[in-house]
Amino acid sequence: MSVPEGHYPENYHPGSDQPDLNRPVHERYPQIRATSGYADPRVTRTGPGPGAGTDQQPERSAALSARVALAVTVVIGQLWALTVATDAWMKGSTDTAWWCTGFSVASFLVVVLAWRISRQDR
Amino acid sequence: MTTEPSAPDEEERAALRDRISADSLTTRRDYLRIVATVSGGLVVGSTVVAAGVLSRHGDGSAPPLKVADALTPGQAVAFGYPGEDDRALAVKLADGTVVGYSAICTHLACGVLWQQDRGTEGELHCPCHEGVFDVRTGEVTAGPPPRPLPKVIMVEDAQGAVWAIGTARSGESERSGLCRGLRASDPALAGAAGCRADEGAS
Ligand code: FES
Repeated sequence: MSVPEGHYPENYHPGSDQPDLNRPVHERYPQIRATSGYADPRVTRTGPGPGAGTDQQPERSAALSARVALAVTVVIGQLWALTVATDAWMKGSTDTAWWCTGFSVASFLVVVLAWRISRQDR
Repeated sequence: MTTEPSAPDEEERAALRDRISADSLTTRRDYLRIVATVSGGLVVGSTVVAAGVLSRHGDGSAPPLKVADALTPGQAVAFGYPGEDDRALAVKLADGTVVGYSAICTHLACGVLWQQDRGTEGELHCPCHEGVFDVRTGEVTAGPPPRPLPKVIMVEDAQGAVWAIGTARSGESERSGLCRGLRASDPALAGAAGCRADEGAS
């Protein structure tokens, strides 16, 4: 894109006298990335063109949100089971306390599954 | 995703480099890892609770303990039973019944106090979070405590002296508690006293 004659004052030229400072932003500040400011680490490769800077895999992203929600719900259930186990043990029903522990272990396995099932999603 | 890197190892390294050079963020994957850690901690906690790490009033048996030579109605006495540190409280009610309870609140273990002027016949009150227990049954009538108070089984002898003779856990009947104590100290005697096998099994 050339600047038409007469648009700049005389002796003016755009950019810096130091060629270093005229490099593209990405070269001067490699830390500034296409995702900077978006707070969205899911974008791993954006580029020019439609869809740049948005979710690359929205369906995976929704699945990941669902996994977090599931895991949190299960942990709430575990907290409840711990109170039941404590009450049961204090009342002398050790069996009930062990059953609650079993429930807790099963819940833990569900959470681990939710965590590990697809390691690429972020 | 664009090109698939060849080895999964390489892919992982690339992902890591990507993470490190990106803005500092906690991703939802990180949340999943944190939640999984909490979940594992809860499993450990539940296991140690079921294995019996918490102290429970009345574990272990002790010979009968004389706690007072005499009690007048409305009077309470504090003592330790079965162990020195098992703080307990006995109250003689207006009708002459003597009741005994652990004096350790089932909520957060504050000291439970006898308040004669509250309720219809007085009540056991925990000042920490306004927990209230029925003085006749030990049941929770108000406040946050999750369980009834464990009982200390009291008897009054012919001379009017008050004795602690056994304990019963939260929600356990006195008979079952006595049988449990007896079985621990002398199983033959427990049979002779008519304790069924399911009574006081711990
Ligand atoms: S410690 Fe007794 S009510 Fe909280």
